[in-house]
Amino acid sequence: MNFLLRTLSLSYVRRHLMKTMLTLLGVVVGVATFSAIRSAQGTLVKGIRSTVDRVAGKAHLQITMAGGVPEEVQEKVRALPGIRAISPVIEQIVVPERGELGSLMVIGIDLLGDREMREYGFEGEDADLDDPLLFLAQPDSAIFTRDFAQRAGLKTGDTLPVRVPTGVRRVAARGLLSPKGFAEAFGGNLMVVDVYAAQELFGRGRRFDRIDVRLAEGTTVAQGTATLAKALGPAYRVETPDRRGKQMEQTVNNFVAGFNITSGFALSIGTFLIFNAFNVAVNRRRRDIGTLRALGATPRQVQSLFLMEALVIGLIGGAVGCLAGGAIAEGFLKMMGQTTDTIYGVTSSGGSVRFPPGIILESVLLGIVASLIGAWNPALAASRISPTEAFAKGAFQAKIAANQAPRIAAGVVALDCAILMALFPPYAGNPLILSIMALGGVGMVLLVGPLSRLILRLLAPLLMGLSPVAGRLCSDALLGAPRRTSGTVMAMAFSLTFVFGLGGYMGSMTATMVKWMDDVLTSDLYVRASANWSRPDFLFPGTLRQELLKVPGVRAVESVRTIRPFYQGHQIVISSFEVGPVMKRIKYEYFSGNEQSIVQGVGRQGMCFVSENFCGRFNLGVGQSVELMTPTGPVRFPIAAVVRDYGSDQGAIYMDRNTYLRHWQDDRVDIFDVSVAAGADVGQVRNLMRAKLAGKMPALISTRQEFIAEIKKAIDAFHALTRVTVFLALVVAFLGIVTSLLISVAERTREIGVLKALGAIPSQIVRSVVVEALVISLVAVIVAIPAGNLFAAFMEGAVARFYTGWSMPHEYPWEIMAQLLVTLPFVSTLAACIPARQAARLKITEAIEYE
Amino acid sequence: MLRLQNVVKTYGGKSAVTALAGIDLTVTGGEMVAIMGPSGSGKSTLLNLLGGLDVPTSGSILVAGTDLADKGEKERSMFRRTTISYIFQAYHLMPTLKVSQNVALPLHLAGESSAEVSRRVAQALKDVGLEGRSSHLPDELSGGERQRVAIARALVTGAPLLLADEPTGNLDTARGEEILNLLRAIHRERGTTIAMVTHDHHAASACDRLIRLRDGRVEGDGPVAGGGR
Ligand SMILES: Nc1ncnc2c1ncn2[C@@H]1O[C@H](COP(=O)(O)OP(=O)(O)O)[C@@H](O)[C@H]1O
Ligand SMILES: [Mg+2]
Repeated sequence: MNFLLRTLSLSYVRRHLMKTMLTLLGVVVGVATFSAIRSAQGTLVKGIRSTVDRVAGKAHLQITMAGGVPEEVQEKVRALPGIRAISPVIEQIVVPERGELGSLMVIGIDLLGDREMREYGFEGEDADLDDPLLFLAQPDSAIFTRDFAQRAGLKTGDTLPVRVPTGVRRVAARGLLSPKGFAEAFGGNLMVVDVYAAQELFGRGRRFDRIDVRLAEGTTVAQGTATLAKALGPAYRVETPDRRGKQMEQTVNNFVAGFNITSGFALSIGTFLIFNAFNVAVNRRRRDIGTLRALGATPRQVQSLFLMEALVIGLIGGAVGCLAGGAIAEGFLKMMGQTTDTIYGVTSSGGSVRFPPGIILESVLLGIVASLIGAWNPALAASRISPTEAFAKGAFQAKIAANQAPRIAAGVVALDCAILMALFPPYAGNPLILSIMALGGVGMVLLVGPLSRLILRLLAPLLMGLSPVAGRLCSDALLGAPRRTSGTVMAMAFSLTFVFGLGGYMGSMTATMVKWMDDVLTSDLYVRASANWSRPDFLFPGTLRQELLKVPGVRAVESVRTIRPFYQGHQIVISSFEVGPVMKRIKYEYFSGNEQSIVQGVGRQGMCFVSENFCGRFNLGVGQSVELMTPTGPVRFPIAAVVRDYGSDQGAIYMDRNTYLRHWQDDRVDIFDVSVAAGADVGQVRNLMRAKLAGKMPALISTRQEFIAEIKKAIDAFHALTRVTVFLALVVAFLGIVTSLLISVAERTREIGVLKALGAIPSQIVRSVVVEALVISLVAVIVAIPAGNLFAAFMEGAVARFYTGWSMPHEYPWEIMAQLLVTLPFVSTLAACIPARQAARLKITEAIEYE
Repeated sequence: MLRLQNVVKTYGGKSAVTALAGIDLTVTGGEMVAIMGPSGSGKSTLLNLLGGLDVPTSGSILVAGTDLADKGEKERSMFRRTTISYIFQAYHLMPTLKVSQNVALPLHLAGESSAEVSRRVAQALKDVGLEGRSSHLPDELSGGERQRVAIARALVTGAPLLLADEPTGNLDTARGEEILNLLRAIHRERGTTIAMVTHDHHAASACDRLIRLRDGRVEGDGPVAGGGR
């Protein structure tokens, strides 16, 4: 066996280097995508945890509250028994003017008290930062890590321009930290400043992001937690840094896990390409297989030969794929990191991708498994080739069962079951989604073959009408080899189904949200304090509203404040605004209740209204109430209405600003909605506002269109993985057509030779191969359109409902359709190049001798 | 060596072709038999059945005491390794393997040790007069040389039965003559039983016995006039 592999297989590879490379490429693409996504996921999630852990230092517990921890809590905590030290913290990501240095994590701490919490290894000649008072006396003081200072070329005393919400600030390096423990957090991109300076800089008011607590010797974490919880009340969260990290990890988990679909898809591509490539090889080597059998090789020996080849390809492809994965992982990490940061407000460390041996091993193993699965059937087919058949004249064709009725019936049943399960779910969650996908997949596998043959038969007369020679050649080739044809069509149809389905889902989600935004975002200008959607980098003081109202041309200003507390383990959104005036200009779609119930109940009676997904997730509706933990204690808010709303994928609660102020006692504002007076120029009002805020406050002022466009950009970032999948699908289409046409040409070698002998010129041969490629894609598109629509409906229905609780009306993916109708012919023609060239170059004598 | 009883072979489903319509035949060990007949008369089919490449639709085929008709693929493969070797009209060499590797193939399939393999391959190549060509590819050889490589591959296992399907069909008279002499020598020196399909009367006259097929039946069977030179 070894000998066969070393001599026969290796020499075959040498002779068909190009085809071997294509085969290898399948595994490489699959494994690279898998390993890149895996390692990026791992790095991202680990980065979240390690940043939390490292920054936590010796803190046993951390106190947080949605909206920030008020300063006076410090005193309350300090007075409790069993507390050794406490330290207030503000954390914020900023970007230096020199963007190439990467984001900086600003940690605001109380330098006087913080040495109990974190170890500061200062270095340099003026080390030790002898006089903390000097540090505090100058408001631009900062401490950097030695690593970062070296990269930025900073010495003690130098300044670095940094973008903060209110504009660009120069901060001075007053000390450098040696890289250990805490200083290694966020890849060393740390900037330590005074916590009170940070309050000012980042609009935190008189609040901290959290208070770190170190317990006295002899006090257990459980005791400490109990004491703190009792003293502070339920609005505060008291948890270990470890728990907090886990919680943050949980928040991004759904998003990050979504990438697993893409990696699974990439691996199945690899499998399919191996399958196709081995079909080519088995066909091409038919006669050699026959000879081997005549010389005494058993069927099992033939099968093992091909499986060993698959093993080697899997191994090499896996290894190369890992290398390639390492190269693209950084890109995936960036993509995921940006989204988790802007959408979930969770920041991972700025470090580079880690590629642990576990992932390498896993990836190579998966490459081998994918390769073996792909090669299994062709290897089995090879072992079943009887020597007499192998030597028989005329192209060999695997037969398909004459009676397709049972197969079609089974396919229809599977598909129907999938549809029924999606419409009337017998159980819920991941098992449901997996069962539906499995049933749908089986249905498609069963139906695509017969369906593609039917379409081809209908297309055949048309083709011949268009071009008698090339058309006939190509429809003969396609119909004469039903297995190969349906294999290729199947792979392409699956890919395109993914494309249409995901694209349709993406499109309908975007369209739905845009429509919702059109109804809800009806102000002329939006004055935002923070560019980040879910982690406020700055908050306006509530009093700014009066200032804005004074700007000429402003008719009305409403204040929106949003916090993201945890409710029954889910990070939901609580948003508040002046309900009375706002309800005059926005229109909700109501699931229950109506405009009147909001104006009355929410505006005047302190009730709340909730989003559709909140209602679904927590099983609460009109007539019931939500109990929320406020700084003033637990409060029950009766629900006045349920509306269509996409404010949070975990659920959103809305209340009047007065209600919020009363219970949360925090008047800061995220966004001011500004309406201009009739006849006033929006651009001019904006300029006046900018001038007013300049230097004092961040002034992210967008018009309605701009605001909607920015949200759309955030939604698009969320869809990054969908686009990767779409790209991979096109790769499948390309490689699928190449390998399929290579088989087609190989199988028809003699026929092509005879045609050439009869006077066919190379361009005629080339044309027939290109037409074949185009027809394959056309048939795949025809199959994929209905299948993709079903898949999109499934994503919009069952999947979206499970993950977000939103329901989305189905939108037809016209845009993607149009894109594909333009790109696919190109891709197909390009894919036909290699096989067509091979066909055109066939020497007549060799071609005829071939049999 | 060979005993066929009422062997019938039909091909295909709907429009079935009867390739062999009841063959009774006995060949004793050490014979050299020529099989002739018009194209499509079933010569190749008969040879395939003798070599266990295929099984008859009905009837029994005893080769060296083993009934091949009721054996599975695996048993027939194992049987071929030790008992049967082939020579084809189109040589059927592995185009990507060197001459020596081609010759070594059946030995490796049978799991021989590599020392034994190289010894026997060298001997076989010497027997067919191709010592100097062992590291060439088949493409680099002439038709006659390729067929000699195929013969070396058939010799190397020492199988007692050699089946040849038009071994000289692709060669000119002089090359064909060389191949016939080689087969004749093998038959004489090793006592190998040879069954050779041919279109060529001259080639047939190199044999001891001539079997004529027509429409899947034995039309004539007897010693070759002036044969056994
Ligand atoms: N694999 C096959 N499938 C169907 N028919 C076959 C097959 N092999 C041979 N035949 C048919 O069987 C008959 C005998 O063929 P063959 O033994 O090759 O004849 P010969 O070698 O004498 O020319 C012919 O009619 C041929 O068409
Ligand atoms: Mg024949």
